[in-house]
Amino acid sequence: MKRAIAFVLLCSAAALAGDVSGTWTGAFKVNGGDHTVPQVIILKQTGNKLTGSGGPNTEEQYPIENGKVDGDHVTFELTSGEWRFSYDLKWDGPEEMRGDLGLKSLDDSRTAKILLRKPK
Amino acid sequence: MGMTRLRGLVLYVHLSTALVAGAFIAILGITGSIIAFEPELDHLSHPHLSYVSPGGKLLTLQEIGDAVSRKFNGEPIVSYLLSESPDLSLEVVLPRGIVCVNQYTGEILGVRTRGQTVLGFARATHIRLASGDVGRTIMQWSGPAIIVSLASGLYLWWPGKRFRIRSGWRSKGFWFDLHNSIGVFFFLPLLVVATTGTVIAFEDQAAMLLSKLSNPVQVRREIVAQREAPAGAEMITADQAVAIALTQMPGAIAYRIQMPRYGGAYRVSLEDPRHKVVSGRNLITIDQYTGSVISSSRSTESSAGEMILAANEAIHTGEIIGTPTRMLMWLTSVIVPVQVASGLLVWWRRWKTPAGD
Repeated sequence: MKRAIAFVLLCSAAALAGDVSGTWTGAFKVNGGDHTVPQVIILKQTGNKLTGSGGPNTEEQYPIENGKVDGDHVTFELTSGEWRFSYDLKWDGPEEMRGDLGLKSLDDSRTAKILLRKPK
Repeated sequence: MGMTRLRGLVLYVHLSTALVAGAFIAILGITGSIIAFEPELDHLSHPHLSYVSPGGKLLTLQEIGDAVSRKFNGEPIVSYLLSESPDLSLEVVLPRGIVCVNQYTGEILGVRTRGQTVLGFARATHIRLASGDVGRTIMQWSGPAIIVSLASGLYLWWPGKRFRIRSGWRSKGFWFDLHNSIGVFFFLPLLVVATTGTVIAFEDQAAMLLSKLSNPVQVRREIVAQREAPAGAEMITADQAVAIALTQMPGAIAYRIQMPRYGGAYRVSLEDPRHKVVSGRNLITIDQYTGSVISSSRSTESSAGEMILAANEAIHTGEIIGTPTRMLMWLTSVIVPVQVASGLLVWWRRWKTPAGD
């Protein structure tokens, strides 16, 4: 009986934690920038490890590195050209993630707020 | 309105503009003078990473890539940034940073990590006060403030047409004369740098206006098919991708090659010396398995609006002719804080001693 309860609890916890796998779309505007940059992020979650790719559209995609899911906290990085993008997102419900994006080039460092949604 | 009253109003505008925007105008000038020679200063700040002794045969990108992979445990290469000059090193972009390599020997000179540098800070300050949207707005409007100062200054100077500096910097008239003389002598370069800078600061609006006046400023986007490897297919090398790109644009020079893992295909950026203003705006995208050209974006296809905006930027940075115009833009930038300081000093002295010169 105890094992059954533990199993049910474990399954419930897993269901609550959910899975961020799928295609997420959104945009960001760098603080002090003048353009909104579209985003298409394709995520694949295996345990708490995150792989996949991201970029401005489905054709131009860059591999995700150091992807991790920790509860509702989702972090990953990608390199696009000379820029390194560091995503620090909070999973805000099954269809929305929002958070901070850090961008670093060889000589500059910028920040942006980002909102990603899972198209229905 | 009488001439005296109008002159008083113009003087009020000239002073108010300097008091409100003077500090930001001075920052524009100081930072502008620093970034006028940004590439050269950047190389000088990392001499051991930047300079190589030219000589011998150039290694292929494949050989350079292999040397980098050996050193950094197979970390994937994002792109190659080819050397602009025989005595400058080649750069290989990795996720961890930018690796500087001697393209003649394959020696790894070192890694530059990403993040803000002093020069990057100067540029960020020039554009957005090294902050966010508020800083950007302030710097955007500092350009028009310079134009207002120049126009009102010329109006005030015109009746007397003074063009002399009385001896002795302690004399009452020294700073007034200096402000007048420099302002008139550098009027045209100052107007050019302020106007072109204002256009850059309001580029979106300028592009919209230009599309109404001429053909629309096109935002081109190449279609890149992210391909799965066909069975048994082998990827072409970066060197082969460059060779293919050069057959598409004979006479051009490749300066950047992005690897297919990052973006789905080889992207070769080329500079065409025949088109000075938009020379670097050529991009050929090549399929990594078949070597076929997927798309190309060429500077010659630029619309009139794009050409105007590119020429405007080249004038502002001084790249339009080369070193002489870069020197002129640098000197003009240096003059800006001198004008702000001398103008405020004149105002301060008059405010303290209203009966002064």
